[in-house]
Amino acid sequence: MKTDEELAREARAGSRPAFEELALRYKRRLFVYLRPRLASDQDTEDMVQETFLKLYRNIDRYDPTYRFSTWLYTAATRLTISSYRKKRIAAGPLRAEEAGGVADPAGGPPAGADTAGLWDSARALAESQFRVLWLRYGEDMDVAEIARAVGKSRVAVSLLLHRARMNLMKRTGAAPAGAMAAAKPAAAGGPTAG
Amino acid sequence: MLCHLARKAISGSEDRGKALPRWAGRHISRCEACREHARFAASLRTRLAGDRAAFLAAVPEFPLKEVAWNEAGMERKERASLGRRLVLRPIPAAAGLLAVAAAAFLVFRVVPREQVPTAGDRAAARAAFKSIVAAPDEFRVALTGAESSLEKEKRIWESSVVSAVEYLQARLNIRIERRDPPKSL
Repeated sequence: MKTDEELAREARAGSRPAFEELALRYKRRLFVYLRPRLASDQDTEDMVQETFLKLYRNIDRYDPTYRFSTWLYTAATRLTISSYRKKRIAAGPLRAEEAGGVADPAGGPPAGADTAGLWDSARALAESQFRVLWLRYGEDMDVAEIARAVGKSRVAVSLLLHRARMNLMKRTGAAPAGAMAAAKPAAAGGPTAG
Repeated sequence: MLCHLARKAISGSEDRGKALPRWAGRHISRCEACREHARFAASLRTRLAGDRAAFLAAVPEFPLKEVAWNEAGMERKERASLGRRLVLRPIPAAAGLLAVAAAAFLVFRVVPREQVPTAGDRAAARAAFKSIVAAPDEFRVALTGAESSLEKEKRIWESSVVSAVEYLQARLNIRIERRDPPKSL
């Protein structure tokens, strides 16, 4: 299986199927990333389409020294901001009925949506916190890449990630039993200091 | 306060992939809540990675409008075949011209031309020239005067040299003779 960067290089050389493959790989991921910022699923779909159109138009400007995902999310962020300014898209919180299968845990987990677990809880975070969390854990980007993609400083991204973790922990309550196994072995417990 | 700092340190170590500072480790060993937070932060990667596929599968399916890409592709090809063109932008060009004109007015100034000499002026100039040419004696006198002052200078210089030679001969008890008399003198 080809990597994203290999496909992007082929697309830059003129391969349409390579770009189609990239678009298929990323359309849902981009939807998840953009959805909290936009008012409806329809707006989000339109923005995904516009982002791919822009990328296809400018694929010859892709720099293979960067990851394709960073380039994609950077373009999507800029396009959303620009579109937001132009059209004054009304941003709104995600509602379960609009989101289809993507649930809003703030209103309680809907039936059949419990499989996405922690991500569903993350949807209830502030949109900036959700976006950095998605790029960090959904796309496995480091802080520098996230900063480039969302157009913020590294310090701001670190702070957003910290807040996202804190809020996510509050929302999910105490760490579940499954987390204990993955956690580092802690020292013997003493009296609670915080 | 320490808990707040310790949790920030936990987040920082998760993001940078570095070990926790020692003070934070000591605090976590004493604080149950921070220990819980550290466990949660450490488990996030595994848990979120595990949930990712299910989360993405829940995203509503929508088709990509690939037809629009055709137009974008054509546009890109046209752009590539044309290359880059130099396009004159009228407003900056006009502003530049105005700036050059203003600078020219500052550097140069308009002066009326001198009048063409009249026939009378020409006649007067001719008469003055003739009067100069018609007085060669005065030039000769002036030339003789110039020559005589040069001779005088030469004599003064020679006598100075002779007296200097005499002084040196007397002082050092030597004899100085002229080997070759200078041609010019």
